[in-house]
Amino acid sequence: MSWKKDEDGDELSALMSLDQSAVLQEARMFNETPIRPRQCRILLAKLMYLLQRGDTLSTTEATELFFSITKLFQNKDMSLRQMVYLAIKELSEISENVIMVTSSLMKDMQPKSEDLYRAKAIRALCKITDVSMLPGIERFLKAAIVDKNQSISSSALVSAYHLHGKARDIVRRWGGEVQEVLNGKTASSGISFFGSSKSNTTTAQSIEQYHALGMLYTLRQNDRMAVAKIVQSFGGGSRGGWNIKNPLAHVLLIRYAVKVMGSDPSSAETLGSMLEEWVRYRSEMVSLEAAKAICELQDASPKLVSSAVSTLQSFLGSSRAITRFSAIRALDSLAMTRPEAVQPCNMDMESLVSDNCRSVATLAITTLLKTGNEASVDRLMKAMQGFMSEISDEFRIIVAEAVKNLCVKFPQKHSVFLTFLSGALRDEGGFEFKQAIVEAIIGLAKTVDECRETALAHLCEFIEDCEFTRLSVRILYFLGVEGPATSMPTIYIRHIYNRVVLENAQVRAAAVLALAKFGSAPQSDGKLRESINVLLKRCLDDRDDEVRDRAVWALHFIQTDTKRIRYMRDDSTYPMRTLESKLVDYISNHKNAEKGPISLSTIPKISREQDLAQSSAKKDILSVTSSNIVSPNINKSTLTPSEKADQPSFTNTTQTAVANLSLVPDFSSYGNVLSSSSKPVELTEPETEYTVLCHKHVFNSHIVFQFECTNTLAENVLEDVYVDMTSSDDLDDSISPLAVVTIPELKFNTPSSAYVSFERLNADEIVTGSFECTLKFKVFECDSATGEKLDSDDPGFEDEYLLESVELSEADYILASYIPNWKSEWDRIGKIDDGEEHEIISSFHLPHFSNLKDCVNNLVVVLGMFASDADLNPTNSVAHQALFMGLFESRDKVIVRARMTFQKSNGVTLELCVRSDNPNVCNLVMSSIS
Amino acid sequence: MTGIIKALLDWLRSLFWKEEMELTLVGLQNSGKTTLVNVIASGHFTEDMIPTVGFNMRKVTKGNVTMKLWDIGGQPRFRSMWERYCRGVNAIVFVVDSADHAKIDQARAELWSLLEKPQLYNIPVLVLGNKNDLDEALTAEELIDAINLKNITNRDMACYSISAKNQTNIDITLQWLIKHSKPKQ
Repeated sequence: MSWKKDEDGDELSALMSLDQSAVLQEARMFNETPIRPRQCRILLAKLMYLLQRGDTLSTTEATELFFSITKLFQNKDMSLRQMVYLAIKELSEISENVIMVTSSLMKDMQPKSEDLYRAKAIRALCKITDVSMLPGIERFLKAAIVDKNQSISSSALVSAYHLHGKARDIVRRWGGEVQEVLNGKTASSGISFFGSSKSNTTTAQSIEQYHALGMLYTLRQNDRMAVAKIVQSFGGGSRGGWNIKNPLAHVLLIRYAVKVMGSDPSSAETLGSMLEEWVRYRSEMVSLEAAKAICELQDASPKLVSSAVSTLQSFLGSSRAITRFSAIRALDSLAMTRPEAVQPCNMDMESLVSDNCRSVATLAITTLLKTGNEASVDRLMKAMQGFMSEISDEFRIIVAEAVKNLCVKFPQKHSVFLTFLSGALRDEGGFEFKQAIVEAIIGLAKTVDECRETALAHLCEFIEDCEFTRLSVRILYFLGVEGPATSMPTIYIRHIYNRVVLENAQVRAAAVLALAKFGSAPQSDGKLRESINVLLKRCLDDRDDEVRDRAVWALHFIQTDTKRIRYMRDDSTYPMRTLESKLVDYISNHKNAEKGPISLSTIPKISREQDLAQSSAKKDILSVTSSNIVSPNINKSTLTPSEKADQPSFTNTTQTAVANLSLVPDFSSYGNVLSSSSKPVELTEPETEYTVLCHKHVFNSHIVFQFECTNTLAENVLEDVYVDMTSSDDLDDSISPLAVVTIPELKFNTPSSAYVSFERLNADEIVTGSFECTLKFKVFECDSATGEKLDSDDPGFEDEYLLESVELSEADYILASYIPNWKSEWDRIGKIDDGEEHEIISSFHLPHFSNLKDCVNNLVVVLGMFASDADLNPTNSVAHQALFMGLFESRDKVIVRARMTFQKSNGVTLELCVRSDNPNVCNLVMSSIS
Repeated sequence: MTGIIKALLDWLRSLFWKEEMELTLVGLQNSGKTTLVNVIASGHFTEDMIPTVGFNMRKVTKGNVTMKLWDIGGQPRFRSMWERYCRGVNAIVFVVDSADHAKIDQARAELWSLLEKPQLYNIPVLVLGNKNDLDEALTAEELIDAINLKNITNRDMACYSISAKNQTNIDITLQWLIKHSKPKQ
């Protein structure tokens, strides 16, 4: 035995020190006669090792090698042949003329060949074949798919899956065979003979069904109905019986079911009951997957959730650590959204706190923290602290996040949390972990006023010895924001200035800005400002440009009040994505630079609060991948998660619309877009054959209507698509039609835009009115899978489709934008006294609204102006005040104050006050309401 | 000493083991290479209509000689690879469809370019005019002229007119091949 062991060791070290050229030299042995199978096999293994190690072969080398390997087909040694298949597969990408082995492999995959050869030959064959050869071997592959031997069937299916990318049309014809495998008609007699008595739930059993299911889904994935049918027909135990025996296949089915539920809410009930059946399935893997799926559903019924929870609960007592882990992890994520549903498991989780698997114990504690009451917090935190140092960073991050959420839930316990967090901050740990802790402390400082100063002190202590530049910068920024409002701002200034002395350039620059914030804060008195001045002056000698620049800049504005307000305490910002796309747009065309500098006035502004809320919402969506769980407590706004998710995305659509607009050559002479409708208007019912969204863009002397059309019929392709607009109001004197841009070809599910543009005959006149729209096009029948026309000579037939009419309203001329320091602006306009009407106040009685929220929503649509989240969500059901801001034609500031009251008997009473520099605009806005 | 033992072993081997030889069949597509291999191997004629994609490898035992037959596809895309499989074999068999007059010129060009390869120098070549059961088939002599075989002098050459379908002259083909089973020392 010992001799053998030595030999193994030698072989291993021989492998480690392999030299590519030596192996290629040795490869001559493949050409020798007679063939020595054992040596050849070892050499092939070495070759595989080289390739896996990342060595590269030149095409000539690989081709040479490949052809000598083909000589090995003469030997019948079984293990050698299998190595040959592997080598062919590996070399298939590098060598030339790999097609050479087609005949040999086809011989090996024939039914009369060895079973052991057949499966592997199929896999190798599909790697070396090209699309032109495929029809020649199609017959054999189809037969192999339905072969009784499961490894052959699996091989053929997996190969088909890979070929699907190269030759969709051919592989599509194999759907029938794939379906047959799923129906279990071909189930190998040998397997079912033994299968019933032995373990039924191993993953290897009927593995071909798993592959077949994946294949079938790939073939049908573009057809929603077909996918739903797959799930329905193979999933239900009560209906077709469990035709599917493989647990992995069930896991796949569950995932498909979740997808179907996501795209088609009406199926939620039937699929929900199927999920419930899966939860009780005899395989642990399947019921875990089903339970996890239920936990991640947005709107699962309580009954469904409780069935999932009870299954997970039973897994908590499993003897296998991996099962316990999966179960507790699913419960942990469920506890984020529905802590009450997880509460029944509290007892079981308590016993897991001392589990010998640390990961299980950690998750048990974080879950308990979410579900438990205030009394248990102390005890759990103590237990947690005990092994914080023993678990990996990933779990420590989970803990940090759990604690962050808890701070919001139990603000009274802030001291416990803060002690815990500051302790963790001192532990060794990587960046991600430290970041999570820092964010938790910052979150605590923001939400719980009493502990703000202690939290800041902990952070100050941390940056004294912080190895992560990004965290230092983050903390310095936070100190700059929160520090000036504390009772003793000078303490923090010392800490900050230490950074200027000791740190790298990035941190120093951040520290300079933080100092400047202290200096410009409204709370700071003359003495403090003077000391800040001294400190900043010292920074003027810094060796880094950026630091010096910032210091100069800060010194410059810190002196005067107005500049301080404008630069340091600006409460508005640009939405970064819009700004970015605008800049990219500007740079992409070098002619822009000749025209003049970029104008930022057409980018709507938003308030910092809004920006913060949006970016945190985005982060939440990112962090909680599939289900966007936003604990309502964290963000104090009352937006639901789905609304939050919508917000960034809808600004996106407007942006892409504008970007597309700039690509249309007809409109390049129109100049900049003054305002674009913030939200596209749907001109069709959802779920119709064709859907059309309308964006409106106002230019200086033009108006462009953009119709984003989508063809939802896979079997049709449309050509020459355009929208015919006729005005029902008499607008001929005000605007004249200028151009119609058609969509040359509209394929299935690829939205494209058609445009209609009008010239504004009188630039000062604000044209409003409604337009009748009809979609006109030519229809061609096409192959639903490829999008190719069925008959290339088909002349197509003309058709039209009536759309809802488009309204051009006053709101379309207003760019929804936040106005920085709107309060002073409001007061300033109110004081203008030049005989003109800069302010209009008027009251409306609106009995048809049953609450204030409806009224606000309606106002936003009608005005098309910016409003903050808080203003959009009335907290008081009786009275509410909302502010709307915007720029008329990207020029004149408009501010609207809306005060409304609600009485059950009377409906909503609305008082609007419009102020603007331009009196006409006031009138205009007011008239849009009436 | 080792020389004596080796000689002894060789002698023993020749008593118990069969002779091995390696042959490569090339020629234009549809000249009947795969069919010929099947006839040699099984003795039956089967009309095989599928062109060979790449190569087929067959082992055939005749008497005490085991022949390894490399049957290489004749389509243009495979012709550049003929040489690889001809290196070091005991003999090259070049099959010609003697009834297809239009392609004789092409066959001659391919054979000559193959024989120009230095690596194949000295390897015996057997040219077979297949399909002599057809009326328009060339005789052996006509074929020799058409392919200009008389000008090939640097190696063992032979040319037979055969029919894989009627199994004519398969026996003399095999005799010629077995005669060349001993590798040149």
